[in-house]
Amino acid sequence: MNIQRNCLAGFMLLAAVLPFLVSDQYILHVAIIVMFYAVLATSLNLVVGYVGEFSLGHTAFLGTGAYAAALLSTQAGWPMWATVPAAGLCAAVMGTFIGAITLRLHGPFFVIITLSFSEVLRLIANNWVAVTKGPMGIAGVPQPALLSGMSNLAGKHFYYGIAWGLLAVALYLAYRFVNSNAGRAAVAIRENRYVAQSIGIRPLHYSMMALVLGAFLSGMAGGFYAHYISFVGPEMFRFAFMVTMITMVLIGGKGTLIGPLVGALLVTFLEEYLREAQELRLSLFGLIVIAIVLFLPNGIMGFVTSRREKYEKKNGTTPASMPVSGTKRRSA
Amino acid sequence: MKFITLSISGLLFLNSAAFAAQPSGPIRIGVIQPMTGSVAYNGQAYVRGAKLAVAQRNATGGIGGRQVELQIEDGQCQPANSVNAAEKLIQRNKVPVLAGAFCSSATAAVMAVAEKYKIPLLSGVSSKADLTEKGMKYFFRSAETDRLMAKTFSKILAGDLKLKTVAYIGVNDDWGRGGVEDFEKYLNELGVKSVMKEYFDHGTTDYYTLLTKLRALNPDGVFVAAETQDGSILVKQLKEFGIETKVFGVGSWATSDFIGLTGEASEGIYAAVPYVSNMQGDRNRSFVENYQKQYKQLPGKYDASGYNSMNILMQAIERAGSDEPEKIRDALHKTDYDAPNGHFRFTEKGEGYGFDTVLVQIQGGKTNVITQAQTDKP
Amino acid sequence: MELLPQYVANGLVIGSFYALSALGLTLILGLMRVVNFAHGELYMMGGVIGWWATTRLGLDFFSGLLLVAVVLGLFGWLIDRFLIERIRDQGEEPGILLTIGLSIFLANTALLLVGTAPLKIESPLAGGPIFLGSVVLTKARLFAVAVSIVLMIATYLVIQRTRLGRAMRATFQDPMAAKLVGIKTANIYAGTFAMGTVIASLSGMLLGSIYSTQVSIGGLVSMKAFVVVILGGMGSFAGAIVGGLLLGLAEALWGGYVATGWVDIIGFVLVILTLLFRPYGLFAKRAERA
Repeated sequence: MNIQRNCLAGFMLLAAVLPFLVSDQYILHVAIIVMFYAVLATSLNLVVGYVGEFSLGHTAFLGTGAYAAALLSTQAGWPMWATVPAAGLCAAVMGTFIGAITLRLHGPFFVIITLSFSEVLRLIANNWVAVTKGPMGIAGVPQPALLSGMSNLAGKHFYYGIAWGLLAVALYLAYRFVNSNAGRAAVAIRENRYVAQSIGIRPLHYSMMALVLGAFLSGMAGGFYAHYISFVGPEMFRFAFMVTMITMVLIGGKGTLIGPLVGALLVTFLEEYLREAQELRLSLFGLIVIAIVLFLPNGIMGFVTSRREKYEKKNGTTPASMPVSGTKRRSA
Repeated sequence: MKFITLSISGLLFLNSAAFAAQPSGPIRIGVIQPMTGSVAYNGQAYVRGAKLAVAQRNATGGIGGRQVELQIEDGQCQPANSVNAAEKLIQRNKVPVLAGAFCSSATAAVMAVAEKYKIPLLSGVSSKADLTEKGMKYFFRSAETDRLMAKTFSKILAGDLKLKTVAYIGVNDDWGRGGVEDFEKYLNELGVKSVMKEYFDHGTTDYYTLLTKLRALNPDGVFVAAETQDGSILVKQLKEFGIETKVFGVGSWATSDFIGLTGEASEGIYAAVPYVSNMQGDRNRSFVENYQKQYKQLPGKYDASGYNSMNILMQAIERAGSDEPEKIRDALHKTDYDAPNGHFRFTEKGEGYGFDTVLVQIQGGKTNVITQAQTDKP
Repeated sequence: MELLPQYVANGLVIGSFYALSALGLTLILGLMRVVNFAHGELYMMGGVIGWWATTRLGLDFFSGLLLVAVVLGLFGWLIDRFLIERIRDQGEEPGILLTIGLSIFLANTALLLVGTAPLKIESPLAGGPIFLGSVVLTKARLFAVAVSIVLMIATYLVIQRTRLGRAMRATFQDPMAAKLVGIKTANIYAGTFAMGTVIASLSGMLLGSIYSTQVSIGGLVSMKAFVVVILGGMGSFAGAIVGGLLLGLAEALWGGYVATGWVDIIGFVLVILTLLFRPYGLFAKRAERA
């Protein structure tokens, strides 16, 4: 636990220092995107890693947050510091609604129903032209007023700061959740649902908590995205976005707090550097995903943790951390 | 763990430093087009045309002795990816001018980025009318807008074809919806009644439900806003269904690909397009000849837009005498470009006009130009 | 109301195509509990190889079908033996991620090799409407429906009447017991995956002859197939057929009486409703509740 906390603190410190060292706006842009994805991956990790259910509908929360922020700022004129938390709240409400329906199901059923919800939201966003402007999307989401006088670089620094703040909040909340009774209960449910129930843990209660928290975080990320990119459209609900998110969580290692960060870093860099390969880019990406699944099933952090556990076992010290991944019991 | 993060950030930093020093070598033009994804087919056509224009210019010595180099990024027609591509091109490749991003929604997003960095952006494809109404000073559009097409052709459609009732079918995206609304508005003004307005999702393969409704309503004409992939299937099924109504479409309908895919069903179909390979004029003839020599096929609407966009940009750079974005932008306003399909000029808002558009009818597997009209200043 | 017969006819035609496509998926999902996200890409490959066989190699339609079946059956077998085999005991997550990665790889490699243009496969029967009363159909569609039915019957016979089918059903019921009886479950799994792949790819080629084949349709096909499989129940043969017809009819009627732009939403709403009230589908085979 301490190592995790220290690593997280170290990473955030490094991230805080970066804008003072670098003035290339492209790198700042990539860093902002990395942090944005890190928030998303952390929020998804709460469901996938700690509750143990594979959700393919997380874009529902991201998109809800993005549209909420976009509509609130373009229609009602709310400023950014109000729209982003409001976006998070809207997404949390959506999370409560979807969670109440989907968390009763497990395994492949959960996968497909969460996917269906995402698709339904996408189709609604695409067709309810009166509110969401359909495929045209909502363009021109306003920037905060104080940016209008600043230079481009200062503007980037501003967004970087906001993204950093969001990531700090996300990591803090996730850390507190994981190391609380609620978090431990969630892990117990993940490891063995029946045993957890037998000692009085209500699975629905805790998985809802994880899901709603995750939804809140991604909703805020969505709100941030709306202001940063200044355009929101139905493609926020697309499956491709989901694939990126889930790949980050799985490559980094689900069930750890650092995993999503590592995943976000790696996948964003991979996507940007693979741009050079042009058409081959996505084929390579597919191959990499397959390779990770075959050879690094617990992601990079899982690999690191298991090496560390082996090392500690050899030296006689017992590790005090929680199990990284589930030994999920399949009902035979 | 910290080591990993440090090393990755360090690598990035070094990498960016390497890019910072740029010698004054070739002139770079940034291009953002969908090279993968569902409209990749058309995005790649644009790039073919663009490459031809650049190759021709480089063969005659480039601009002021400097060769022109295209820096192509895949925007996938998605706003987020196109914005990423724009940031990379502007910040990392340091291009002084951008062309793209094909779909109007992606272009709208990139437009904001270009405006922020004060880099001129030219779209040769995006046809949504309000793109030039946003007060952007760095955005230019050399494509036909659906409004322009509707205005130019609605008289002919209502008058010569004597249509009294029309059904509208469009692909369910910003372009399809925009096209349907613009044409409907102008035709309604001329007294033509709309009997049906339906949309379908991109990628739909079975149109029978839509066609059932259409057949029951029996209009004089059917207006379709769809691209090659969807449009060809729709037309084929329309004929299979036994509907004999006059059909006119916008999108890349007059290309050899479309005719090939549609087969016999393409007989008698009308299309309103900004370009077709058998338009009149010497410039077009030589364009088609060169294109065919290079790519062994006839050019279509998107190939022509890529070709024209590049030529407009290169001429502007030449006129500016430098590759500074501000000067290029001022030079763009003075554009007076002779294209294979007419004469291009820009309004103060950056809206292109003065070029020709055609109404064709497909007969015997070939496009037959019925009318060639010049677009007026909006 | 007078359009109803036409809508019903449309719905049944599309429905039988959905059913055929979903059949391949339900076998894999029901038997192997692998959520195969690459299903749509296998369908697409069937169409692409079918096009290549009929256009480049000049084969006629039926030889093309045979070639597609053989090539893709082999491909499916290999995928199972070398990829899925390794993650079989790890729950369904790795399977999902693996097949997602596979689908991305297949879709984009095909894009590189074939390009983005839609491809046409020549149907053995030319187009042109046939009128049954007030209902319009075409020879090509009827032919495709006929071939689909033949394929469905063939699959049924293989599963119910052959040794292989018996072995498959045994492995489905209880893998451990099947192994004890001497069934080589590894081969059964590979064979089932191969069979699912063959059905998917054959439907891809078949439908490519009516519509057209494009490299990017994989995603949509997968989604629709999942919807059908959930409606009908995972692993249920009859369920896939009934589910497919149901989806086709629902889409046709909704599209006809409401609006065609929203048609895809029907499938997902049906999925959500099914999963809420009858999660094992209309034809539940197992009464398992986790």
